Amino acid sequence: MPVEVILPKVDMDMETGTIEAWHVKEGDLVRQGDTIFEIGTNKAVMEVEAPATGAIRNIKVETGVPISVGTPVAWIYLDGEAATTPSEPAAAAAPVAAATAVSKTEAPAASVIAVAPASSSLRATPLARRIARQNALDLKTVTGTGPRGRIGEVDVKRHLEQRPRCAPVQETCPAPVAGASEGRLQPFSAIRRIVANRLSESMRSAPHFYLTSEIEMSAARDLLGRLAKRHERVGVPKPSLTVLIARVAARILRDHPVINASVEGEATRFHERIDIGIAMERDGDLVVPVLRDAGGMDMPAMTREFARLRGGMAKRTLTPAELGGGTFTISNLGMYGVDSFTAIINPPQGAILAIGRTIDKPVGRDGQIVLRPMANFTLSSDHRIVDGVAAARFMADLREALENPELLL
Amino acid sequence: MPSDALDAVSEIRELSYAEAVREALGQAMEADERVFLFGEDVGVYGGAFGVSGDLVHRFGKDRVIDTPISELGIAGAAVGAAITGMRPVLEIQFSDFVTLAMEQLVNQAAKIRFMFGGKASVPMVVRLPGGSGTGAAAQHSQSLEAWFAHVPGLKVLQPSTPHDAKGMLLAAIDDPNPVLIFEHKLLYKTKGHVPAEAYRVPIGKAAIRREGTDVTIVGSSIMARKAEAAAERLAADGISAEVIDLRSIRPIDFTTIAESVRKSHRLLVVYEGVKTMGIGAEISAMISESEVFDFLDAPIIRLGGADAPIPYNPVLEKAAVPQEDDIVAAATNLVRRGEA
Repeated sequence: MPVEVILPKVDMDMETGTIEAWHVKEGDLVRQGDTIFEIGTNKAVMEVEAPATGAIRNIKVETGVPISVGTPVAWIYLDGEAATTPSEPAAAAAPVAAATAVSKTEAPAASVIAVAPASSSLRATPLARRIARQNALDLKTVTGTGPRGRIGEVDVKRHLEQRPRCAPVQETCPAPVAGASEGRLQPFSAIRRIVANRLSESMRSAPHFYLTSEIEMSAARDLLGRLAKRHERVGVPKPSLTVLIARVAARILRDHPVINASVEGEATRFHERIDIGIAMERDGDLVVPVLRDAGGMDMPAMTREFARLRGGMAKRTLTPAELGGGTFTISNLGMYGVDSFTAIINPPQGAILAIGRTIDKPVGRDGQIVLRPMANFTLSSDHRIVDGVAAARFMADLREALENPELLL
Repeated sequence: MPSDALDAVSEIRELSYAEAVREALGQAMEADERVFLFGEDVGVYGGAFGVSGDLVHRFGKDRVIDTPISELGIAGAAVGAAITGMRPVLEIQFSDFVTLAMEQLVNQAAKIRFMFGGKASVPMVVRLPGGSGTGAAAQHSQSLEAWFAHVPGLKVLQPSTPHDAKGMLLAAIDDPNPVLIFEHKLLYKTKGHVPAEAYRVPIGKAAIRREGTDVTIVGSSIMARKAEAAAERLAADGISAEVIDLRSIRPIDFTTIAESVRKSHRLLVVYEGVKTMGIGAEISAMISESEVFDFLDAPIIRLGGADAPIPYNPVLEKAAVPQEDDIVAAATNLVRRGEA
């Protein structure tokens, strides 16, 4: 059997990596321990060694393309093995995009050389599997240090000990499966785990408070209608309400630096640029592509960029960089008929805006009860860096801008 | 007899394995006139390995019977005597010769109780000196216990200490069904504490010779002793090995093995019989089939006899069966994860 060369996990939270450079080419003979490629993470470039001695065949992955940890990238044929194409997992090298950028504080994981097995050929002892089951741990995330990369008890226990932010607080840890378990147990996907960790951490460490404003959307609607016609003339897709709100938020965030800020230890980081993340759903996973430098975009540019991000997300061609590092986030569930809701802050950001549906409601205008399209906007703020009045001022400006968008011009 | 005085003596008393067996035979014959010995040279000569010794002088030629050289005849006569209510204890001079007695042991002794619906039973004991290490070559050095452990209706014991040799033989003589006791020839001269009174060691209960946490080493007969010595050396290397002396391979004390593996997560089975299709395979499979499977953190490793007739050359003879060094190396690999 040829030996699989996989993209190893070289960092604790690493879900994807990029081969920066191949040191070998198709057909080269390598000795176990020779450096065969360099792997790039968001922190460093590390050398990966050959897991066996033989001929390199079927190099599958180009440099510079982010791929999942554990993806086979080549095979090593031992002496005398015919170099036919081995059966490979389908879509083995499909680029993937992680939900959010990898956390920047973790210690590097164990051995760079150790080869984390792909799921189909995962080697683990029964005890390792049992402990993983009890802790709802996906063994694919564990690096085996036993013979042939086998995962043993020691590897799982080490992994569990290092599992970030989970151990200290019980309620966010997966409940152990006690006795006979009911229903289907689905281990977290890589993205689900990151989402779970980050949002748990956010709720735990960021004291959230919420301000809700009901804002009349008549003017915004009219503007969207006019913009749609203009976009049509210049060949730009129809703008959505989400993009319009992002555009408005990007404009007024300039005047509210504390809302466009992040928590950094015991300091506030005020961001020069306004990068607005838009919460989206893909195959049941929460992903947050980011409109970079949204403050500098006009509506057509933003509409185009939004369409590009949405397309890239569906096709899974977005890079981790495009999916992380925003300075402010917008989440719109209005299209599902949600009236209003509160969102969890996307750390280390300081605030997130949750948008409900627009619906005609009776309101008082000039002494009369009239129907107006109204929508609820709820701002969740991290009270460590945002005070109530600062958040209220932002909401006041948001109302004014949405109700009188011409003021922004 | 003043039992206090007896206890005081037995506290300090050491006997060899052969002496312990002889004492059990003597005490059983004293206690029950139905018990008699039967075998080649067990009388005047005192047994090929000196086990029966002076018993012929104490109990006479009617109860310590020298037989012709016919294992089939000895075994058949013993089965018949047992059915009629006697308690024969026969000695197969070398366990290798038991091949000649297979019909009586496997088809008769093991089956009669079942064929007659419990109306007859065969309370006989067969003692079989076995094992290698005496330079006696392929036809006088085998370990055939696994053959009999495959036969329902037989019990198969492998005591490793003088204490167990005596206590298990007395328990076997009490047993209403056929019991085979494989005695390793190299153990006959080993010494150990043996109480003077006629005590019994229960059949089917393993002994934990040493407690440990990193790896379970299971063996019986001389391999249990080698495992104990190996565990001592492993401890010096920081490996805590639990040593289980099976004492009985049929019935086998699976519970004790399972509880140990549940704790240590690793299992090494050591046996002198040929490794292929042997006791180790059975124990390994029992663990794999049980709920303890989920507690294994490494493959189960068997150390067994080579797939070859026991060589005459003393160097090769040693190499053909697991030795203390082999156990130390195997257990170390298992714990240090170099097992593959």
